Amino acid sequence: MTPTLPGWLRWSWLPPGAFLLVFLVYPLAVLAVTVTSDSGGGVISTLASPTLWQVTGLAAGQAAASTVVALLVGLPLANVVSRYRFRGRAFAQALVTVPFVLPTVVVALAFRSLLGDGVPQGLVLVVMAHAYVNLAVVARIVGAQWAQHSGDYESVARTLGASRWRAFVDVTLPSLRPAIAASAAVVFVFSFTSLGIVLLLGDPTTRTLESQILRQTSVLLDFPGAAATALVQLVIVSTVLLLGAAASRRSATRRSRPPALRPLPSSVSGRAAVRITAVIGALIVLAPVAALVASSLRSSRGWTLSWWTSLGSVDAGTTRLSPPSEAITTSLAYAALTALIAAGVGGLAAIASLTSGRSRIIAVLALIPLGVSAATLGLGTLLAFGRPPMDLRATGLLIPLAHALVAVPLVIAVVAPSLRSTDTRMSAVAATLGARPTRAFWTTYGPVLRIVMVAAAALAGAVSLGEFGAATFLGRAAAPTVPVQIVRLLGRPGEQSLGVAAVLAVVLVVMTLLLVMLVDRWATPLRRTTAQENPA
Amino acid sequence: MRRRTSPVITASIAVLASALLLAGCASSGADGSDAVEPAASEPQTVQLLAHDSFVVSDDLITALKEDTGITLEIISGSDAGTMVAGAVLAAGNPTGDVMFGVDNTLLSRALEADVFEPYESPELTSVVPALRADTAEGRVTPIDFGDVCINIHDAAFTDIDAPSTLDDLIDPTYRDMLVVEDPGTSSPGLAFLLATIARYGDGWTDYWAALRDNDVKVAASWTDAYFGEFSGGGEGTRPIVVSYATSPPAEIVYAEEPKPEAPSTSVMADGCYRQVEYAGVLAGARNPEGARAVIDWLLSEGVQSDVPMSMFVFPAREGIALPAVFTDFVPTIDSPLQLPPDDVAAGIAGWLAEWGAVMGR
Repeated sequence: MTPTLPGWLRWSWLPPGAFLLVFLVYPLAVLAVTVTSDSGGGVISTLASPTLWQVTGLAAGQAAASTVVALLVGLPLANVVSRYRFRGRAFAQALVTVPFVLPTVVVALAFRSLLGDGVPQGLVLVVMAHAYVNLAVVARIVGAQWAQHSGDYESVARTLGASRWRAFVDVTLPSLRPAIAASAAVVFVFSFTSLGIVLLLGDPTTRTLESQILRQTSVLLDFPGAAATALVQLVIVSTVLLLGAAASRRSATRRSRPPALRPLPSSVSGRAAVRITAVIGALIVLAPVAALVASSLRSSRGWTLSWWTSLGSVDAGTTRLSPPSEAITTSLAYAALTALIAAGVGGLAAIASLTSGRSRIIAVLALIPLGVSAATLGLGTLLAFGRPPMDLRATGLLIPLAHALVAVPLVIAVVAPSLRSTDTRMSAVAATLGARPTRAFWTTYGPVLRIVMVAAAALAGAVSLGEFGAATFLGRAAAPTVPVQIVRLLGRPGEQSLGVAAVLAVVLVVMTLLLVMLVDRWATPLRRTTAQENPA
Repeated sequence: MRRRTSPVITASIAVLASALLLAGCASSGADGSDAVEPAASEPQTVQLLAHDSFVVSDDLITALKEDTGITLEIISGSDAGTMVAGAVLAAGNPTGDVMFGVDNTLLSRALEADVFEPYESPELTSVVPALRADTAEGRVTPIDFGDVCINIHDAAFTDIDAPSTLDDLIDPTYRDMLVVEDPGTSSPGLAFLLATIARYGDGWTDYWAALRDNDVKVAASWTDAYFGEFSGGGEGTRPIVVSYATSPPAEIVYAEEPKPEAPSTSVMADGCYRQVEYAGVLAGARNPEGARAVIDWLLSEGVQSDVPMSMFVFPAREGIALPAVFTDFVPTIDSPLQLPPDDVAAGIAGWLAEWGAVMGR
């Protein structure tokens, strides 16, 4: 309970609430009405089928394994990339986001070509790919909180004789628990509802409910069955997200220091540990990217530049591909809109979570889109906003709105834990000195908000850059995004298809790096001054 | 007193802003297409709902506008299955005026849901006789056809003969060589399953058990099978793949310059499954007149001549000259396998379940 929160906070749930009502609840309701008016009996028979529950169990195990691996790799990276000052840090931080935006078909082909036939398809490969793709989720969410971690308490613990490990386990981890819980819940949900990677790298043991839903809608046209499966997925995912939200609410300590980057540790071993972590992290992220760069420069005749030089002329004069500059503009515009919408809606929902009582619920409700089957939501959105009386397709807003639905939960996962662990003594002091609640609020939360909102917006933009499903389902054929172009190319034979697809994937990687570094830069001046004010 | 004004004002602004946002969305929805296409509210714009593999040359769209005044807006509907699913759910108040790309495996489901309204194009008389009768009582119009066939990487068969029939594929000589797509997630994968059902009848499960024992590999998608597993497509190791009769010419067209003279892959003429793609006027279309004109356009000589090189399928219209890569490298498929659309609609769920049981998937 914080006594000095301004009154308007009680209403901050309204815009996110309206957003969810219009773009999540309404389309699903339209779909539900359409499907049940057809036939309702199929729902029960699907719920009673053993396959459904068998797949649920398999997917839960796979998602748990993916989460553990993503945390094991992501936590050291979050530590290094978000806390220490070293040359190339901004680049490293942007690099971690790259796996998140690569289309799954590209990740799958890169993993295949890197690991060769030696690694059998199945659980291990799927878990590795999920951990790889979700590195950004862990590094960004935990990193946003770790960046504000002063290390003072660890120093105290060390002075009192605790080992480095002991200090980490007893002091650092508990204070990061909200962020770790939030990111673990998100990674679990992404892996549990995964589609592309599961289909491309998986085997029968790695099926997910989402893959069942796709088959039920697109192959069997069994809508009641799909509805039943989607319902089960929604219930399970909502439960996990609720647990994650509950765990992330119990924040142990509140930090007083404004965020600041630290210089590298003074000890040789500490310095080496940071460097080695950074290098290993970079290698993990870069290996598939390097494979992509190589494919963009190779043909069966050897090294070549022809895929790069033919980029503008491939399929020129047809409706298949738009010129690269147009696809890049389209992708960037969608990413910017998504970042704006998601940061606004998600930021307000996170702020609402600071208040007590009912309005706090919105931060939990806004996580739900993560659990709604993409195929289901896509069909619902098409029925609700893809035809008269309300056809939004031509406005170009439908895709950023669909992307924002997925990005809002990530924004909340980044922003809410940091807000909750912000020291509120400042606003108490300000209020005592006569500051109005709103002024006191910005004094307290402003600096934190500025940094975490930038991280959140970058993640939201990344979601949009890499998204394929909604972009092909709700888009106009004439304005394909870069991932849509890649997948179109990979749908036909020929070396050129593979080569130019690799070129576009490299372009996507570079776009992501530039975008994320640019966005991160906005937050940097603040960090610099604080770092100078607080020489460590 | 003053302390209460600020939150109330802020809250009102928030409510107003959301209301404005919603109103903005609603109004831009009503006339949203006007913003982009000036002719949207007039009957000159036609929305063509097509799957993501639909490609046509830009000049033909320009020619359509010049000849008829129609501005064609192509709306992407993802893959054919998802597109048809959306059309079935939206039946009566469709998300476009005309749909292209429903094929003979999905046709029955679309017809059951009354997705289309009848239209008989005057151009239909030019369609090859075998397809002409095939219009589901005039509700759809055949636009193109193609065959899903076994493709072979020739370099792997210098010492042994390449397989020439479906029966050969279960021969231990070809153990570990074949990659197919999962019929539950891939359109050519489903076509190949239907080919085996058309060929072997009730014995199809035995055939698949034999394929399984011969170490067939199942990939999730065509992309994964062709580029990931097939030695003739990318970095794979298996020399036999389920692909299309037109994959070898496409391999040349999309090769590095200077283009090779001949493809490195060839087609097994036995066991091909014929896919026919249809277009139809969507029931409840805002511009049915324009939709019918677009169907005539799809069957016009211009579009039909464009179809081979842009989509790598065969034109439904008679007497269209085929490009040299087609005449040189696509074998004539004399008796392609096919199942009646009604049988497919009735059987597909059971077949996929049985296939899953046999293959352990």
